[in-house]
Amino acid sequence: MKKTFVYAAVLLLSIMVLSVGVVSAQDTPVTIEWWSHWANEPAKVAVIEQIAADYMAANPHVTINLTWWDKDPLRDAIRTSMSAGEGAPDITTMDSDFAIQWVEAGWLVDLDQYLPWDNFVGGVRADGNYSDIGIDGQYKFNISNVVNMLIYNPDLFAELGIEVPEDYQFTTDEFLNVVQTCSAAGYAGVANAIGNRPYPAVWAVQYPLWTLVGPEQFRLYDNGLQSWDTPEARQVLDYSVQLRDAGLWPESFSTMTIDEFHIYFHTQRQACMMFIPTWYSGRAFKPQDAGGQDPEWHFGMLRYPAWENGAANDVVWGAFESGYAITTASQNPDVAGDILAFAAQPRYGALWTAVTNSPSAIRFDPAVDWPSDELLTSLGVTPGQWDWYWEQFNEVYRSLPSVSVAPARCGDFDAAVVSTLNEGLPLGLLSVDEAIEMLDSALCVQ
Amino acid sequence: MSTNQASAVRPLARASASRIGTRRQRTPWGAIALFLIPLLFFYVLFVVYPLIATIWNSFHTISYNMGQQVTTFVGLDNYAALFTDRIFHTSMINTIIWGVVGPIIEVVFATSLALLVYFKVPFYRFFRTAWFTPMLVSGVIVGLVFRWIFNNEWGLVNTALRGIGLDALAVNWLGRRDTPLWVVIFVHFWATFGFSFVLILAGLSSISNDLIEAARVDGAKLRQIITSIILPLLSPTLITVTILSFTGKMKAFNVVWVLTEGGPLHASETVATYVQKRAFAWRTLDLGYPSAIAVFWFGVVLVGVILLRYFLNRGSYQREGGA
Repeated sequence: MKKTFVYAAVLLLSIMVLSVGVVSAQDTPVTIEWWSHWANEPAKVAVIEQIAADYMAANPHVTINLTWWDKDPLRDAIRTSMSAGEGAPDITTMDSDFAIQWVEAGWLVDLDQYLPWDNFVGGVRADGNYSDIGIDGQYKFNISNVVNMLIYNPDLFAELGIEVPEDYQFTTDEFLNVVQTCSAAGYAGVANAIGNRPYPAVWAVQYPLWTLVGPEQFRLYDNGLQSWDTPEARQVLDYSVQLRDAGLWPESFSTMTIDEFHIYFHTQRQACMMFIPTWYSGRAFKPQDAGGQDPEWHFGMLRYPAWENGAANDVVWGAFESGYAITTASQNPDVAGDILAFAAQPRYGALWTAVTNSPSAIRFDPAVDWPSDELLTSLGVTPGQWDWYWEQFNEVYRSLPSVSVAPARCGDFDAAVVSTLNEGLPLGLLSVDEAIEMLDSALCVQ
Repeated sequence: MSTNQASAVRPLARASASRIGTRRQRTPWGAIALFLIPLLFFYVLFVVYPLIATIWNSFHTISYNMGQQVTTFVGLDNYAALFTDRIFHTSMINTIIWGVVGPIIEVVFATSLALLVYFKVPFYRFFRTAWFTPMLVSGVIVGLVFRWIFNNEWGLVNTALRGIGLDALAVNWLGRRDTPLWVVIFVHFWATFGFSFVLILAGLSSISNDLIEAARVDGAKLRQIITSIILPLLSPTLITVTILSFTGKMKAFNVVWVLTEGGPLHASETVATYVQKRAFAWRTLDLGYPSAIAVFWFGVVLVGVILLRYFLNRGSYQREGGA
């Protein structure tokens, strides 16, 4: 009896001590530094700030300091601060392609244990996963799930007598004719330009490559794991040259920035079409005086040009936009992980979709999770304003299977892609043979 | 009498020597150190240390494992790789073209304008200010403005060319292989020649007016005054300006970066932009190879400056000797 009493007392005392420890740990003020890009996309800023505010309200001892960046300076700052061993944030923006070196360097925390993976759409674990190169773990939290779109200006199509097929899909030959028709009337085929981004012209190769060879082969080509000296790759590159010669690119192709070419499409209306992922909304669905489009102007959407015998004519090319990672410099990785797990709730997937008008990587039930009109209004959204966009999106893309491919290029191959596909071929500075030679000489696996 | 004079001199000399000795003894080392040490500290911290670190890095590859920096000695491998790096070769050729052409244009143009101001052409006060003003504008702003000016579709240059019927000359200045480097050279010249102009003008101002007046009295014409009096006397300034201009071109970065980022297809790539790309924008964390490029290029510029000084000074002495 006496022994039992002593055991009970010890147990009780232990519980009390542990409880005090837990309570004091919970109460210890924690500051989390969170660096994010999207500085120029107010809708995304609003969603992330809302998540941070909600988390701090639920966890008063945690302070989240959000810092907004443009992507390249953020990338350089992470590199500098992690190399120096100080000044790095707890949470940072992460792109699967440019952060592969961060993972190899051991700068990012494995998120496998932190995130409720069932809350995400299928395929999300393929992104931020580097098992191909022998690294275990999941390193990226995705809130956005991108679909690559091909959008068009219905006013110009009507003016030029271009009819969109019932299934929203031109053949590659028809698409070439559309470009020729637009160019002959003084309009660019597409608005895309390369003034400050290393990829907008690459899309003119990637879209037809996707439909011709399908997702798995596409991944090998796109990541420099496969020679480009093949009939399929040559066919696609030749086609991109035909498009270029037909007048695909705008005259200001070399200098227009990404913000400018959005405006060139939706406000100046100087191009018939535009290759663009669903993050189009981030720049276009903001107030007109901030560079956004007229909400009353409804553009159209097209499926990708179809090849005869294309392997993936009816498969949507998906991807995951920039997401977030936790750095190993964090003194509080568990709190940072808890924040990302908090952000992975269905209601934030719905909030992301409602506010940014871009699909989310977090599953949600619209009937349950959709944000209230009050909340949307407080975040600067006019409820229902972009319903037409979603109707169009669902009509054109939602019924098709979507496959996401995670980019992971090595440095030399990435530089070769920029030189050849973003600059050389579209500007007519290289032949297809030269482009293939340059790409193959920089493959990530020889 | 003479003895007395001699003895009178000796104490004076002793007193003078004693005063000099006292001054030597009173050298204010404390004050000197007070002023020098902070400067030396920052010089060592921000110049000497990075230079040594860059040289050291150039003999290593730098990687990270489990968050820890791992450096591996690779000897001259990074330098050997320079010989097979085609992009580096392109950037080197571009920079050398710029380093040769740029100073020539700059010195000739700046000297001509400085002479106009020196001889007080009408509105010379206005020109003196106007020609220096571009120096006050940030290189980034200059790059952005000229990006618009050279826009293929609606840029000022092409609009003007089309306006006067020279449509064939209205090309995509920043989107070809043959023109971007020359656009970059021109823009950088526009942005920086004001510095050379001011230095040369200062050099002109230091030439005694008496010499020019004397030459005029002797019947020298303006061309003779310039070629036989002003330019020879100005040559030390011109040598300095040429060397400063040369080193400026060999390490130019910001205007190129904003204007073209070295593109398209490395047509306007300079060594400085390529180092930046390899060090920070390339998908590798290795600073060894970009350090090797930087060190190699430091050597090239150093040799270039020494050769330039040697040949320019020799030319200057020969002119003086001939005169």
